[in-house]
This record gives sequence, structure tokens and C-alpha cells, in this order.
Amino acid sequence: MSANGESPSDEGAADQFIGGETEGGPTVEFYGGRGMSAFPIAFFIVWAIVQTALWRIGDTGGLIVGILVGLIVGMFFARGDWKDYANTIFEGMTQPVAVTAIVAWIWAGMFAQLLQDGGFVGGLVWLADAAGVGAALFPAITFILAAVFTTGIGTGYGSSVAFVGLFFPAGVLLGANPVLLFGAILSGAIFGDNLAPVSDTTIVSAVTQDADIGGVVASRFKYVIVAAVIAFVGYVVAGGMMGGLEVGAEAQAIFLESSEAIGLVHVISMLAVIGAAVAGRHIVEAISWGIVIAIVFNLVFGLASLGDIVMFNAPEDAPLAQPLESLPILTIVEDADAVGVTGSLMSGVAGFLELSILVLLIIGAAQIMIRGGAFEVLLEWSIENLATNVRNAELTMVGTAALINAIITINTAAEVAIGPYISKIGERFNLNGYRRANILDGQTAAMGYIFPWSGGVLAAYGAMQQLPGDYEWFEQSMIVTPIDVVPYVFQGWLLVAVFIIAALTGFGREYVTDRETEEVARV
Amino acid sequence: MSLLGKYFKGWRFRTSRPALEQGSEVDVFIAESNGTSGRAYIGDTELIVEGAGPDCIEKQVRVRVTEFDEAAASGRGEFVEVVGESSYDR
Repeated sequence: MSANGESPSDEGAADQFIGGETEGGPTVEFYGGRGMSAFPIAFFIVWAIVQTALWRIGDTGGLIVGILVGLIVGMFFARGDWKDYANTIFEGMTQPVAVTAIVAWIWAGMFAQLLQDGGFVGGLVWLADAAGVGAALFPAITFILAAVFTTGIGTGYGSSVAFVGLFFPAGVLLGANPVLLFGAILSGAIFGDNLAPVSDTTIVSAVTQDADIGGVVASRFKYVIVAAVIAFVGYVVAGGMMGGLEVGAEAQAIFLESSEAIGLVHVISMLAVIGAAVAGRHIVEAISWGIVIAIVFNLVFGLASLGDIVMFNAPEDAPLAQPLESLPILTIVEDADAVGVTGSLMSGVAGFLELSILVLLIIGAAQIMIRGGAFEVLLEWSIENLATNVRNAELTMVGTAALINAIITINTAAEVAIGPYISKIGERFNLNGYRRANILDGQTAAMGYIFPWSGGVLAAYGAMQQLPGDYEWFEQSMIVTPIDVVPYVFQGWLLVAVFIIAALTGFGREYVTDRETEEVARV
Repeated sequence: MSLLGKYFKGWRFRTSRPALEQGSEVDVFIAESNGTSGRAYIGDTELIVEGAGPDCIEKQVRVRVTEFDEAAASGRGEFVEVVGESSYDR
């Protein structure tokens, strides 16, 4: 082509366009070449597969040990001064992307717990009953309610657990197919995890692609809703075809036992957060408003007491405990093990503490891979061999994001690791931040809830195993084996399919020249 | 853009070879450079950016489009200034 008409005498060399991948050497060198810098992450992936898939231990603390051992062993492969290796871990851990996500999880965790403790799920159950939902329709309705709930609270893990605890036994009791019902709950979690402005994966996808959260949510609606409409029809049709289990009718009262309409007042708390976030308010501000409103509703409507929200459990010998015992937030406990702070705010935060540490360490290890050159090897190979045009580049983004998320149990952690890679491939073809974030998060949300070792499935399966102890009529045989649910997570499979079709056809594609993402500093 | 407008933006099948308007200014990421000129890909459209050296690789630069051939989906432009960094390095 006539690209370089005015170039200097050496026209052959001037025609040679060179990309950024060869610019600058790695700052940490490894014995065995650049690929060895992937050792800490690779070790962690193997550890995670063995721990969660082969041995079925969904313990985040164990994964933290896995990444720590990977980082320590990896250091022995580093050439030269190991101080550079150590500093690279710090460089990764102190990236704004990590702390931004952690701050948002902690806020979202408190909000989610306030809604759960304020009887929101009970309110939804009441509504389903009042509307006369039968066994065949129950999975489809559960899908919608789980989707709405997750969209409000932003944590698919939390809502999987909550819905398996409440909707699953209710549906089984009504005669709905348990495997389909489990799939519907996971599908709802995927919908919300993908779309909610307060979802950890939504936040990570936006931040890593330099996009504002409100714009990301609005622009991904088209993919999510197309998949969801088909998934809903799928659950309606499958619900009519797949029968349920025989359960004694005497226990149907359980269905309404914990269900009160007043919990639905938290729809307003949810809408406040969604509205504020989509309107572009800082995510901390948006969720703080949700927290304030949820606390007011819980107290005014008697859904939870002040002590349920925060409670100091002090020992008997504490100097100021006895005189202030009348305070509603103070209890004196005799048992030394019971000393501590409890309540919605505390348990909401606690759920994210281990995940926060894990994610910090994973992006420290990811930085080793980036500075050591393994990411460059992967990038150069896929840019040269796979991402040869914009369509193939998008298919490569879908495929790699899905693969990494299918392998790493905690989908947010996988997203943090693969985010920069999606950014690099997408920017090469000037795909805008919204499109990149949507491709990234579609696969992240979907793959986090499909396989037996996925975090969402593990959390929900854990909750299901408690049901035989909770209800006399619930037999051990009614528990769904995680591998059985894989084909029935319709929203997950459809979301991946929608993105493959979107890459092939250009549906929803936006370039940097079409629309710039808005200021990301709000986050 | 209105809130509703954001939700309905992008409901279309976008070409892999978008056209650029001659005389307009666009902000694009530079993929490669030969030392004196840079090359940007907007989808499969190629834009040669005169004056975008190796320093501009993987940076977002403002380009004044000087010529564009819609049939070939390729064009040329002049480098104006660097306007942004890649999100990859952050």
C-alpha cells in the first residue's frame, strides 16, 4: 500500500511497522525464558484446580496459601537481584484496580447483608406465592427473581446462597425439578453479576478497561437481555417437560413461614443504588445511600433491630460494659468465644476479607507475569496468530476470557488477571472501553457459575448441603450433584453464545471513534 | 446522553471496516510505527498517521484525517497530539 511515500531512502525498512510488544525488555528475568514468569500464576491455577475441582474444597483461605507458595517458589527461578522480583509483587498489589474493587466489595457486602437480614428474599417469596406460581413455572420465575435480587445486591455468590436456602426448598416442595431450579438460580446470579453496577465483576471490568460503570451497565444491557429472554423461555419450556420429586404435602406451610410482603420495601433500597450508580455517582456514594436507606427501612418497619445491624459482644470484665449494658448495641457475654462484633454490617464485610487478600496476591503474581514477559509471549502469539482482524480479535477476547475464567475458581480474580490482556488486544483495533468491558465481563460472569469448581456453584452447593438439617422432609437424595447442573445454567451458556455471535456479526460493536467512555475517575 | 439513550446505544450490527471523514479529527490508539509514521487499526480500517513515531505506540493520539479511501478502508492522517494512555499499563 502507499503508506510511506515520503519515508527516507531505506523504504524497505520504513515499510516495516513494528508494534509495541517488542518495545522495552522485561524488568525481571527468569531462568528458562520469559515463559517462566508465568510460574506463580500457573502454580496457583493448578493448585486451584486440585483444591476445588479434584478435592472439592471451596476454601478461599486455601487459595491464598496456593498463590503464596507459587510466589515463593517462583522467586527461585528469577535471575539477578530478587529485590526486583519482590518489588514487582508490590507494584502489582498497589495498582488502583485492586483497591478500587476491594473498597466496592466491602460497601456492597454490607448493603447485601442488610437486605438479606431485612427480609428481602422473604418478600420476594411472598410475591411469588401471591401471584400463584406453580411447579412448572417456578424455575422460570426463580430465574427472574434471582436476577433482580443479584442486580440489586451485586454479589452473585451471596444471592446463590440466599436463593438456594429459600427458593430451592420451596420449589422442590412445590414439585419443581431440582436440577432445573438450581440452574435457574445460578442463571439469575450470572445475570445480576454481569449487569449490577455494584457487582465486583462489573466494577473490575469497567476499571480495567478505563470505562465508567454507568456507561458499562447501560451498554451491556443489550447482550444480557437477549440471553435472558431466551433463557427464560428455556426455563418455561424445560419446566413443563422435567418433573419434580415426590414430597409430602404436609410441609407446604414452610413456603410462607418466613415470607412477608414488607421485605419488598427493599426494592426501594435497591433502586436507590442502581439509580445513583447508573446516573454516574461514585460507587461508594451510591451504595452508601443504599445502606442508609436499608438501615432506616429495617428499623422503621421492624425488619431488624439496631442490635441486628451492629452488636458489640463484650466480656463481663470489660471496664465500661456493665454501666452501658442498656444500650441496644451492647451485650455482655459469658462465653469468651462469643466476644466480638456481630451484625449485618460486620458479616457483610467479613465475606469479602479473604477474597480481598487473594485478589491482591493474584494481581501481584500477574504483575510478575507481565514484567517477566510471559504475558508478552502470550500476546505476541495471539496477536500474530489469532487476532489477525477485528472479528478474530473479538473471538480471541471471548475465548481467552472464557478459558481463564473457567479455570480460576474465583471469577473476579480471573477477571483481574485477564483484564489487561483484553485491554491490549481491544485497543489495538480501537474497540472502545464499553465493548471491551462487556466482552470481558460476559465470560467472567458466565463461567463463574457453570462448572463444579466455580465459586458460585461451590457456594450454592455448600448451602444446599445444609438443607437436610433445616427441613425434616428434605432428604439427602434431593441434593443436586454439581456436575448435573452444568447443561442447565442457560444464562451462562447463552451469554457466551451471544458474544460469539456478536463478534462474528458486529452486533453491539463500538469503536473508540464512535463513542469515548466517560471519565473513569469517578470510580 | 440521556440515561435511556445509553441503554439503546449500540443496538446495531457495526461494520468491521468503519469509514472516517476527511478533514475530521479522531482520537485513536496507535498499534505500530515504522519510526516516522504510525499505523492505527479502527476495526479492519487502517489509518497511517504521519508523525506518530515509536513513542506513540499504544498511546491514544489525536489525528487529523487527510485522506480516506472507503473502498479500501484505508486512509492517512497527521499526528496532532497525544491525548491518552493505554489502560493496559495502569
